[in-house]
Amino acid sequence: MRTLLKKLSDNRGISPVTICLWIVVLAGLAVFPKFVDSPYALHIMILLFLSTIMGESWNILGGYTGQYSVGHAAYFGVGAYTTMMLMQYKQIPPWYGMWVGAAVVVVVALVIGSICFRLRGPYFVLASIAVAEILRLVAMNLKDFTNGAEGILATEIPPFKIGETVVTDFLSKVPFYYIGLVFAVVTIIVTVLVQHSKLGYYFQAIREDQDAAHSLGINLAFHKNVALLFSAVLTSMAGSFYAIYIGFIDPPTVLALDISVQIVLICIIGGIGTIYGPVVGSLVLVPLSEALRSNLIAQGIFKLGLASEESAVGIFLKEHLAHAHALIYGILVVVVILFMPDGVLGFVKKLFTARKRENA
Amino acid sequence: MGAILEIKHVSKFFGGLAANSDVSFDMTEGMIMGLIGPNGAGKTTLFNCITGYYPPSRGEVLFKGMKMNGLEPNKVCKLGMARTWQKVRPLAKMSVLDNVMVGALCRTNSLKVARDIAMEQLKVVRMDKKADFLAGGLPIGERKKLEVARVLATKPVLLLLDEVMGGLNPAESEEIIQLILEIKKAGVTQMVIEHDMKAIMRISDRIVVLNSGEKLAEGNPQEIVTNQAVIDAYLGSEH
Repeated sequence: MRTLLKKLSDNRGISPVTICLWIVVLAGLAVFPKFVDSPYALHIMILLFLSTIMGESWNILGGYTGQYSVGHAAYFGVGAYTTMMLMQYKQIPPWYGMWVGAAVVVVVALVIGSICFRLRGPYFVLASIAVAEILRLVAMNLKDFTNGAEGILATEIPPFKIGETVVTDFLSKVPFYYIGLVFAVVTIIVTVLVQHSKLGYYFQAIREDQDAAHSLGINLAFHKNVALLFSAVLTSMAGSFYAIYIGFIDPPTVLALDISVQIVLICIIGGIGTIYGPVVGSLVLVPLSEALRSNLIAQGIFKLGLASEESAVGIFLKEHLAHAHALIYGILVVVVILFMPDGVLGFVKKLFTARKRENA
Repeated sequence: MGAILEIKHVSKFFGGLAANSDVSFDMTEGMIMGLIGPNGAGKTTLFNCITGYYPPSRGEVLFKGMKMNGLEPNKVCKLGMARTWQKVRPLAKMSVLDNVMVGALCRTNSLKVARDIAMEQLKVVRMDKKADFLAGGLPIGERKKLEVARVLATKPVLLLLDEVMGGLNPAESEEIIQLILEIKKAGVTQMVIEHDMKAIMRISDRIVVLNSGEKLAEGNPQEIVTNQAVIDAYLGSEH
């Protein structure tokens, strides 16, 4: 065990403390459903995993390679639609369908990449938004194929069998919890492996200075496309997972600009280009959006006696705060960009180094 | 020794403006070629044409006998021709060591090997003690040295240095001069753009003078300082 730890840390520059911390957290998460059986708590955890997967996948392209795609809904949506359509129309179970989804996304990503990577900076951002919007409109209007604005409802998820034994029938949230957990861990591991490899160095060089990277022998188009493929395939997995978990998809929920922006926000708030940034971002954003959705904030204000429930302000808050979701997100982003330009994680790190210096 | 780089009638037009017109010269292996000329003479444009950032509008560039026109900069680098930038381009959020490793990874897929090569190059420019610093936080003198270490890590046979002494104090410039001579000793052919005349006269085996995009003169340093056309270009013909 000790030699294994040492080997891991030597080869990848990961400290043994980090590895032990990982093991503890993972063990905790693994037994979590044994002690907590509230479906709501599990639901929040699943959303956390989903958001982590989405953030980590975007991070490979946006955070490490510096290509700020605001069109990741394209890969999320294509993954979701492929898996869902194969399950509903062709009776292909989702654990096969999601690989088909990933394959379709590879093709889509290569087409998008070959077009958009001709552009740099803000022009790339705009192009990525445009491509995702095109896909949303296509899904909206190809009614015979995608069922258009009515969306697709999963009527029945086939039970997952190995041989004849039924592993799970997906009736509770627990199997989704574990699938989400495994996916999230896999995406983080992929990110770690990429970061500590030649690819990771090249991605970061491209982010820092494309012309310098080019002159140091880096094939820009090739490496940007590789980063996109990693990112897109993982995002499509998140999309497939979302489709099966929620059981309903339509263009506004899986292909809209909202999703793309949400994915970017997870990283901006947590810390772009860091391994744990998206995890931190998810820990901030998921509870916040749930609190807004379920009007927890308005209720909190009433409980604290800041406003009475019957007053005009109270009624206004109760009715509108839940819809102010986007506004509050916006304010949060402004605050983060102003005061924590490196995200929450970067901010915390800075605090620690500052304290260390004071002590020294 | 044969020519390692042949520049044949290279012209580069930006719209109606000829940044380079009909420039030709050869470089033999192991030499240091100085490239001088007043501001706007087309020195950096020539660098860009040679290293693949622009295809020349006319003429051709032969490196080790191969035609380079239109080859992308990354391929040019793989073939053994590397350049630095007049305005330094450190990979700011990466450490000094990581910067040099990116260069070293041009020749290897192993991070470990790349790290060793990078450390070696940092020792050459005497920056091994700064390996863990962020490149973005370095003062200009060290950024220039980092730039040199990074291209050296790509193991070039031909190195093009674009004003590596620009903005440096005399002590730092002296250090760079020694470095250029060391690189020469290691067998790397170099083309150096520099404004510091004393420095360029000391290090160059031959010098090409550009003026308004055209080649004004070529020769060894002695010939250049006594060339009337060069003196006129620099000081005006009335002097």
